[in-house]
Amino acid sequence: MIKSKSTKAGDIIIMIICLFLIFICLVPLLNVLARSLSSTQYLIRNEVLLWPKGWNLDAYATVLGKEKYVHSLWYTALLTIGCTLLSLFMTVICAYPLTYDNLKGGKVLNVLIIFTMYFSAGTIPHYLLLNNLGMLETVWCLVLPGCLSVYNMIIMRSSFFGIPMSLREAAEIDGAGPIRTLVRIYLPLSKPVLATLALFYAVGRWNGFSDALLYLKKRDDLYPIQLYLYNILQNSTSGEVAAQEGFSTPGLSETLKMATVMFATVPILIVYPWLQRYFVAGVTIGAVKG
Amino acid sequence: MSQVKQPSLSREIRTGKTNWKNYMQRYGTLYLLLILPIIFFALFRYTPMAYILMAFKKNNIIKPPWLVDWAKNNGFEWFIKAFNDKLFIRALGNTIKLNLLDLVCGFPMPIIMALLLNELAFKRFKKFTQTVLYLPHFLSWIIVSSLALRLLADNDGLINILYKRMSGNPEAVIPFLSEENWWVGSYIFLGIWKEAGWGTIIYLAALTSISPELYEAAAVDGAGRFRRIWHVTLPGLRPTIVVLLIMRLGSILGSEFDRPLALSNSLVSNVSTVISIYVYQKGIKGGQFSLSTAVGLFQNFVGVLFLFGANKLAKHFGERGIV
Amino acid sequence: MKRILALVLTLALIATLGITSAFAADDGFVDGKFTEPHKITVELFKRGDNDTSLTPYAEYIKQGMLEKYNVEVEFVIVGRWSEVDDLNNLLAAQNAADVSYTYSYATILNYAEMDAVLDLAPLVEQYKDLLPNLFTLLGEANIYWDKDPETGKLWALETKLENNARINTFIRKDWLDKLGLAMPTNKAEFEACLVAFRDNAETLLGADADKMIPYTTSDDIGWRNNNICVSFIPDAITDEELYVMGYDDRQQLLPGAKEGLRLLNKWYNDGLVWKDFALYGSGDTTEDDNLKAGFVGAFQHNYDYVFRNDKDGINYQLKENVGPDAAFVAVDCFENDAGKLRKYLGSTVDRKVFFPATNTEPLASLLYLDFISSPETILFLQTGKEGVSFERAENGAYVKLPLEATDEWYFNSPNNIDYTMTCNGLYLGEYTDVSFGYSMSGADPALLEQAYAIAMNDGRVPGHFALPAITAEADVGETLTAERKTWLNKAVTASVEEFDKVYDEGLANYLSIGGQAIIDERIEKLTAAGYTYNK
Repeated sequence: MIKSKSTKAGDIIIMIICLFLIFICLVPLLNVLARSLSSTQYLIRNEVLLWPKGWNLDAYATVLGKEKYVHSLWYTALLTIGCTLLSLFMTVICAYPLTYDNLKGGKVLNVLIIFTMYFSAGTIPHYLLLNNLGMLETVWCLVLPGCLSVYNMIIMRSSFFGIPMSLREAAEIDGAGPIRTLVRIYLPLSKPVLATLALFYAVGRWNGFSDALLYLKKRDDLYPIQLYLYNILQNSTSGEVAAQEGFSTPGLSETLKMATVMFATVPILIVYPWLQRYFVAGVTIGAVKG
Repeated sequence: MSQVKQPSLSREIRTGKTNWKNYMQRYGTLYLLLILPIIFFALFRYTPMAYILMAFKKNNIIKPPWLVDWAKNNGFEWFIKAFNDKLFIRALGNTIKLNLLDLVCGFPMPIIMALLLNELAFKRFKKFTQTVLYLPHFLSWIIVSSLALRLLADNDGLINILYKRMSGNPEAVIPFLSEENWWVGSYIFLGIWKEAGWGTIIYLAALTSISPELYEAAAVDGAGRFRRIWHVTLPGLRPTIVVLLIMRLGSILGSEFDRPLALSNSLVSNVSTVISIYVYQKGIKGGQFSLSTAVGLFQNFVGVLFLFGANKLAKHFGERGIV
Repeated sequence: MKRILALVLTLALIATLGITSAFAADDGFVDGKFTEPHKITVELFKRGDNDTSLTPYAEYIKQGMLEKYNVEVEFVIVGRWSEVDDLNNLLAAQNAADVSYTYSYATILNYAEMDAVLDLAPLVEQYKDLLPNLFTLLGEANIYWDKDPETGKLWALETKLENNARINTFIRKDWLDKLGLAMPTNKAEFEACLVAFRDNAETLLGADADKMIPYTTSDDIGWRNNNICVSFIPDAITDEELYVMGYDDRQQLLPGAKEGLRLLNKWYNDGLVWKDFALYGSGDTTEDDNLKAGFVGAFQHNYDYVFRNDKDGINYQLKENVGPDAAFVAVDCFENDAGKLRKYLGSTVDRKVFFPATNTEPLASLLYLDFISSPETILFLQTGKEGVSFERAENGAYVKLPLEATDEWYFNSPNNIDYTMTCNGLYLGEYTDVSFGYSMSGADPALLEQAYAIAMNDGRVPGHFALPAITAEADVGETLTAERKTWLNKAVTASVEEFDKVYDEGLANYLSIGGQAIIDERIEKLTAAGYTYNK
C-alpha cells in the first residue's frame, strides 16, 4: 500500500491506542496468573500484583496430580474436537441450502429456525426430553443438544451470501449439483468464517459445564474439566452453604479460583495461533474473477 | 455484496408453474442436506417448546402443561401478576436501561477495535494484540467481579487509594460500585472490556473478504486513512454489522444472569436487579415456574417484534435481512 | 356321615388357613421385617467428585436396611450446588427419591400444591409403633411441627438440629492484652475497645496501620450483628410478637432493632467498621482474608466460625500469619434492657424430609427414617472407623482424625449430615458432650467449648405456633432477603443525620413488597387460633 506522511502519525496514534488496550487486557490476566501461583499468606494480605509471591503450585498440583482430572482433561479435549467438527458439519449443511432464495419452503423454514433462537421453555422440559430419550448419564447429552447454534448458522449463511452469485451460476452451467458447488467453491472460500465458528464452538464446549451439571450425576468419567473445577471451587467457597451447614472444606480456594481461569484460557491460546492462518485476506477473492 | 438475482428456470418464467421434476433434479439434494438440521430442530427445540404452554396454566411441573388446568383470567394470570408486581416493573426498567446502554456503547466497540487492528502495520504485533484482546473473554464474571472490587472498591480499591493520596483528602472517594449511576457506568464498561475483544473476531474474519484491489484503487485516488475506512472498509463490513445488529435487537429484553449477579451488591440493587435476577428469585427459588415461563415468553415476544422490525428496516435500506 | 363331616372340617380348615395366609401375604411384614425384598430410593448429596453412593457409609446403610427390614436402598444422587434445579427436574420426570429432603419448607408447600407430595399424617399415625428411634430422636415436637391444624395434613417431617447455638462475638485477645485492656463486659466497654483498636493502629499493626479494621461485618448485617441487634430488643417481648415479626429471621422487624442499627451506623461513621463491607457478596473471601491476615479486631459470626476448616481456619491461620498468641476469643458483652446477655437461638429444626407422591413404599421409607435415626447408625456415620477416622480419648471422647479428601472414610459434609438425614449435630449418646471439643480438628477444645457456652448463655428459643401455612410467604423469600440487605446496608452506610430517613424509607419499601402482607396474615392466623396479640 502506498503510504503518505500523514499516515505515519496516524500509525503511531493507533499503536498507542493498541498498547493501551493491551495493557488493560493483559494486566488483569497477569494478576490472575500470579495469584494462581502464590502462597496463601500473601494472597490474604492482598500483596500480589503482577508477580507471584511465595511460589505455590498446589492448585495446579491438585488438578494435574489426580488421575481423574488428567483423564478429564484429555476427555474434554476429545469431546471438544468431536463436538466442533460435528457442529461445523451441521452448521454448513443447514446454512447452505438456505442461501437458495428460490428454495421451496426455505422462507418458512428460516423463520421457524430463527424462532428457536428466542423461544424456549426453560431447563425442565429439556431435562424431560433427554430423560425420555435415555440420553442422561451418557456422553450424548453433551454432544447432541448443542450441536447446531442458530446464531452461528446465520453468520455462516451471511458469509455464504458474500460469495458472488456468479460463481454459483458458473458452476451450475458447468453441470455441478448443489453439493458439488458447496464443496468445490463455497467451502474453500469460507475458511475465515469456518475458522471463526470452529473457535466459537470449541470455546463454548471447552468452557461450558451447565449441561453436565444437570444431566450427569453418576458418570464422573464424563465430566468436562470445568465441571470438576466448579465443584472443587464451590466446595471451598460457597458462603451460603457454609452458613447453613457450618462448614466448608479447607481449600486452595483463592489459588484454585485463579487456576481455573488458566485451564480455561491456555488451551485456547494454544489452539488459536494455529487457526489464525485461516484468517488470510485477499487470497480467496482475488484469485477468482467474476 | 452482489445484488444479482438467482438464476431462474426459464420455463418457470414463462408458465409461472413449477416443473417439479426439473426442480427436484436441480435442488433435490438441498433437501437431503436439510434433513439432519430439521430433525435436530424438531426434536431438541420444538418438542420442549410445547412447555411454553406452562405460561398460561396453573403452576405445576409434575404434569405436562397440556394436562394442567388453565390459569385464572383466561390463562393470563401470571402476566397480570408480573405487571402488577412493582419489583417486576423495576426489573423491566433496569433491563431496558442497561441493554440500551450496552447496545449504544458496546455494539460499536468491536467494530472500532477491528478497524484499529486492521490498520496496524506490523503483522506480528497485530496477531499479538488480537490474542491479548481475547483474553478477558475467558474470565468468568465472578473473577471479573473480584478483580473489579480490588480495583474499584471505595476504600480498599487501588484506584481510590491513589485518588486519596493524590487529592490529599482521606475521605475523597469515587463511588465506582457503591453509587447507582456510577455503578451503571462500571457495569457497562466492564461488559465492554470483557467482550469487545472477542467480538472483533467476526469482524476481522469479514474484513478478509474485502478485496485488496479496492484499497489499492482508493489509495491511487488519493484517499487518506479515514476516507479509506469510510468508503472501503465499513461498506465491506456492512452486511456483517447489519446481521449482528438485527440478532442483537432480538435480545433487547433479554438479560444476562452471570454479569448482574456477580457485579451487583446490596447498595445498588435498585438499579442492578434485572429480569433474569427477578426470575431467579421469584421463579426458581420461589418455585413459580409458570410465572418465570410467562416472563420469559414476554421477553422473547418483544424481542422477536424488534427482530422483525429491524429486519424490515434493513431490507428497506437495501440490505439483506436475516428473515 | 362321619367321613363327610371330617372332609368338610378339613376343607374348612384349609380354607381358613388359605384365607389367613392370603391376608398375611398381602401384609408381607412379619416380625418387623418384610417377607419379600422391597425397594426404595433415597436422596443423597454429591459435593465434590467422589461417588457418595459407593462409600463405606453408604454400604453400611444398604447392608443395615437389608438385614433389618429386607429393604433394598438405592441412592439418587443430587448435586449440592444444583440442589433446587435437580429436585425440580427429578420431580418433573417422576424420578424423585422416595425419601427426599430440602432446606426450604416453602418449596415443599409449593410441591404439595401440585399434588406432588404424600400426606405423612396418616402414615405416621398408623406406623407409630414401628418407629421408636425416629420418635426418640425427633420427638413429637419435630414430627408434628408442620402439621396444618386446619387440614390436618403433614407434608414434611422436621429433622433435628442438635446444636442450635447461633451467633457469637469474637475479639482479639492478643490485642486487648497488648493495649492492657480487660475483656469487655458490656456494650460501652466493647465500643471503647474498638476505639482503642482504631487509635492504636500503629502499635498493633506497625507498617500495616492503614489496614486496621476495628470491627468487620459482611453485607448480611442482620446475621452478622445479631448479638448487638438483639440486645436492643425488649426482654419482655412475647412469643406471639416474635412470631408475628419473625418471618425475617434476622429479627430486624422487631421493636428496638432500629436502635441496634443506629449504633452500627454511628460506629461506621466513626471509622470503626470496615468501610467496604456492603460491596462484597457472600462468595467473596476478602473479609475472611482480612481476618486471617490479622487486620481485624472484632466481629460477630456463627458461634464456631473461627474454629472451622482445620488448617484453613481463622484461628489457625492467625497463629501462622501473626504469631502464637494471636487468637479470636468469644466474648459475651451485649446486655439488653433487663441486664441479660440475650441471644436468640435457632429452633431445633433443620432439614425437612418429604415423600413425593410417586412413593409406593411409604412403610419401607418410614422404616428407613427410623433406621437412620437409631443411635448405633448415627454413631457409626458420625465417627467412622476406629484408627482411621477417629480414636478414643481416655474419657471416652471420640477424637476426630484428619483425613485426606481422597480417603473413602472422608466426611464430605460436617458430621456427615449428608448421610444422617434426620440429625444435624453430634449425637453420640453419653459421649456427645465430651466429644464436642474434639469435633473440629485443628481447634483448641477449651476455646471451642467456651464459645459454645457463651453462645448458649441467656439463650431464648422462639416459641413455635402450630398454625396453617401463611400464603403470603409462598414466593417472596428471596426478594425479601435481597431488599432487606439493601435496606439495612444503605441505612448503616448513610451519614448520621440521614440515618432515620434512609432506614424508614427502606423499611417502608420492605413492607410494601410483601413484608406487611406477611405480618398481617400472621396476626390474622394467630388470633384466629386463639392466641392474643396486642400491638
